[in-house]
Amino acid sequence: MIEVKNLTKDYGQRRAIDQLNFTIKKGEVIGFLGPNGAGKSTTMKIITGFMAPSHGTASIAGFDVFENPLEVKKRIGYLPETPPVYGDMYVRDYLRYVAELKQVSKDRREKLINNAIEKTNLGEVQKRLIQALSKGFKQRVGIAQALVSDPEVLILDEPTVGLDPKQVAEIRDLILSLRGHHTIILSTHILPEVEATCQKVIIINKGRIVAEDSIDALSMMDKGQSRLFVRLRKETPNMNSLLSDIPEIQKMQMGTTSREWNFEVQGGDEVLDSISARIVESGLGLVELRPTRVDLEDVFLKLTYGQQEGVQG
Amino acid sequence: MNSTITIFKKELKSFYLSPTFWTICFLISAVFSWVYPIQLNLFAQLLTNYVMQQGVPQNQLNIHYGVFLRQLSYLNLILIFVVPAITMKLFAEEKKMRTFDLLLTSPVTSLQIVLGKYFAALGAIGGLVFIALLYPISTAALAKINWIPLLIAFFGIFLVACVYVAMDLFASSLTDSSITSYVASVIFNVSIWFVGIGSEVMDGEVSRKIFEHISLSTHLSSLVEGTVRTNGLIFFLSLIVLFCFLAERVVESSRWR
Repeated sequence: MIEVKNLTKDYGQRRAIDQLNFTIKKGEVIGFLGPNGAGKSTTMKIITGFMAPSHGTASIAGFDVFENPLEVKKRIGYLPETPPVYGDMYVRDYLRYVAELKQVSKDRREKLINNAIEKTNLGEVQKRLIQALSKGFKQRVGIAQALVSDPEVLILDEPTVGLDPKQVAEIRDLILSLRGHHTIILSTHILPEVEATCQKVIIINKGRIVAEDSIDALSMMDKGQSRLFVRLRKETPNMNSLLSDIPEIQKMQMGTTSREWNFEVQGGDEVLDSISARIVESGLGLVELRPTRVDLEDVFLKLTYGQQEGVQG
Repeated sequence: MNSTITIFKKELKSFYLSPTFWTICFLISAVFSWVYPIQLNLFAQLLTNYVMQQGVPQNQLNIHYGVFLRQLSYLNLILIFVVPAITMKLFAEEKKMRTFDLLLTSPVTSLQIVLGKYFAALGAIGGLVFIALLYPISTAALAKINWIPLLIAFFGIFLVACVYVAMDLFASSLTDSSITSYVASVIFNVSIWFVGIGSEVMDGEVSRKIFEHISLSTHLSSLVEGTVRTNGLIFFLSLIVLFCFLAERVVESSRWR
């Protein structure tokens, strides 16, 4: 459905994205992750035909974004970083305007507008001026705007910014319900959101793709590695001397106080025995010992920030 | 074509539903309500004292010259400053509010965007010119008026306003700051009147002719006197097309820049 080849964009001297390659199949939900300034928005802008790439191509449903922009734009719904809403319009009129712009046929228009309003829970504000709405409502109008033409491809740039937790959950459900019918690209840096909604993740850093896989595969990437959280009764500023001879411990890090420690350990559960035994013997008082799963957040941090600092966490 | 109409309808609606536009309408009618009766009164006095006064130019005794053309020159002055206020939101504000993203990611061409916005602004300016036209119309109750030259004269000033709109639309497309767009537009509107000055300082016959031809006032003056000349119409039309084309290029450039 979406095919990106060698996509590169230069802003003057600075290269924003560098040789991106990926394909997205119909009906997939893709999480697009990366730290600030990694090139997420730039990539999305190019895919939507908003700006042209310096090199490379992108195509949607077989239409090249640059050669055939009108066909591409008919097929996408795009929510930019700032919702593109007119303050002086009423919510419903605005959605009707967008539907007309996107060339939705007259007989389907009202139905799709109602649909978008219902899905984004805008029913109670549909007759209000957009400028009178709160940030969260404006954001929802922005999402409704992307949905209103019932596009094959939805491109959402940080859709849950400014929403309260309940609304975030609703948007998450909304995206889940759209899965299968629409191809969705979702950029965000809220990782639980990606875990809840996306089948596949593309992580980019400094304009390059550093990982592209399904969430499960990414989480398994550091197989055999796990984390341990330990809380002690007594303050222990120097843990090294106590545990340094256990080879499975790869890293030790003090938590918020010297009573809390984080370990990264290799190997299975056997290592827990030796660590807990060692702590109990030394009489520091073991209050809590909890293994934590390597999750998407760890993978993300390792792949993005880890690259420049060496693997530190 | 449909998209042009969609944008046109939306922009026109937002003009006529905005308080700013009605404030401008109010101020314009306030100015004319003050100036126009005075003008009319002076003209009436001139007529009654005509016998006693010598050396009054013949055309000043015609209501078309004595009253209407003066009103048109005031209207022109007002339009120089009001048209930029109407057009500045069309691109500059859209860029600032990031609503331009919506237009650029919708299946519309740059030409459709520019045309939709251009005609919508004309619709708004047409309303202002109509307000000015109400004054001569109401004068018909007091005097016998020759309608055709009056309408042609107003049509002439409307054409000049069309040129202003085209230039100011272009100025608006260049920037994302409303103030910059406003100032640039006013300078454009004022400076187009200075082009014709060249004909007064040029020595050569040919160059003087050229400057005369590209001077706005040459072409306007025949229109306000009630004569429609095709070279004048072509001149106005080519200015409008030129600046709409430039605006279209600027909008299009944001896609490949």
